[in-house]
Amino acid sequence: MTDALHPQVASLLARYRVELRDTTPSDSLDARIAALVAGEGKDIFPPRRAPRRLGYWAMAAAMAVVAIATGIYIGMRLERGAPRARLTQQSSTLPADFSMWPADSVALQIPAEYSPQGTLVAVDPNAHSSGKRYWVDVVVSNDGTVRIERVVPAEDKHAAGVPDGITLQSP
Amino acid sequence: MKKECEDSERMARLAAGDAGALHELYEKHGRALLRFSSAMCHSRQSAEDLVHDTFVALLRGPHLFDPAQGSVFAYLCGALRHRVSRHFRQQKRWVELDGHDARAVNQDPADELARSEASAVFRRALLELPLQHREIIALCDLEELPYHAVAAILDCPIGTVRSRLHRARALLTLRLASLELVDLEDQPPLVQLS
Repeated sequence: MTDALHPQVASLLARYRVELRDTTPSDSLDARIAALVAGEGKDIFPPRRAPRRLGYWAMAAAMAVVAIATGIYIGMRLERGAPRARLTQQSSTLPADFSMWPADSVALQIPAEYSPQGTLVAVDPNAHSSGKRYWVDVVVSNDGTVRIERVVPAEDKHAAGVPDGITLQSP
Repeated sequence: MKKECEDSERMARLAAGDAGALHELYEKHGRALLRFSSAMCHSRQSAEDLVHDTFVALLRGPHLFDPAQGSVFAYLCGALRHRVSRHFRQQKRWVELDGHDARAVNQDPADELARSEASAVFRRALLELPLQHREIIALCDLEELPYHAVAAILDCPIGTVRSRLHRARALLTLRLASLELVDLEDQPPLVQLS
């Protein structure tokens, strides 16, 4: 199969082969090989390169794990403290004259005494007091909400100079 | 046989840390490897770089040589062949900015002038062959290695070497004919079509 070589091709091959025979390594290549033999070439591929690279990878992986764990811990701390922080921030940013209650409301001062059952019940203010009397401040707003604002002993109320009866709360 | 024993002994010394054995191997096989590399590469500098890299790899891993699989020269030639192949694969990734064809025959001027014009054209035709065919021409027709040695270098059966060589010679002849270095008119057809 390989005998079909054209004579002219064979001739050209032979001529090129002779020229190639004269090929000799350059001085540069000889010097590089000599340097290799002398030991300078050992730095081309350091033998401990692989273990050192493995150490670098292990160190980088450990640092990455620490960074991720720190991030998770900080995130958890922030998440736990978030509602409190939000409430604090909200209350701190409210205007000074802000009130949760509507401005149009009526404050009622109702006399009350403790019943034998232990509950506080309203009494006639002109009736004779059989026990300790209290004033219950009730605020009725125009949106229909009713709240008990405070309960104070009748003596303290009078001592503080607060008038009895119904008063309109100023807006 | 005695030479192969000497080479195996040098490889054993190299594996034991005797770098002087590397120089002896270079003195013995360096020129043949450079001839093969020169026939395969477009530039002399690349050919020498690849030979140098082959010996660097030999210095770093002499234990990779297995005497049961062939001679030291076949091992070195096979290693060089792989480096040549890798060299051309890497060369394909680069594009010349100034429009210069990297695959063109671009030799040192003094080296080019030393060759006859016919040889220069022949070399250009050889370098235009695919790598697989170029290496079989370089080993069989230029280095004149026996088929079994080439089969050991290429790691393929002898029959494959024969058929590949036949195909490579036909391609080279056709290329030379297109360059008007060969006259095919009175010759039998190179490839029989059945």
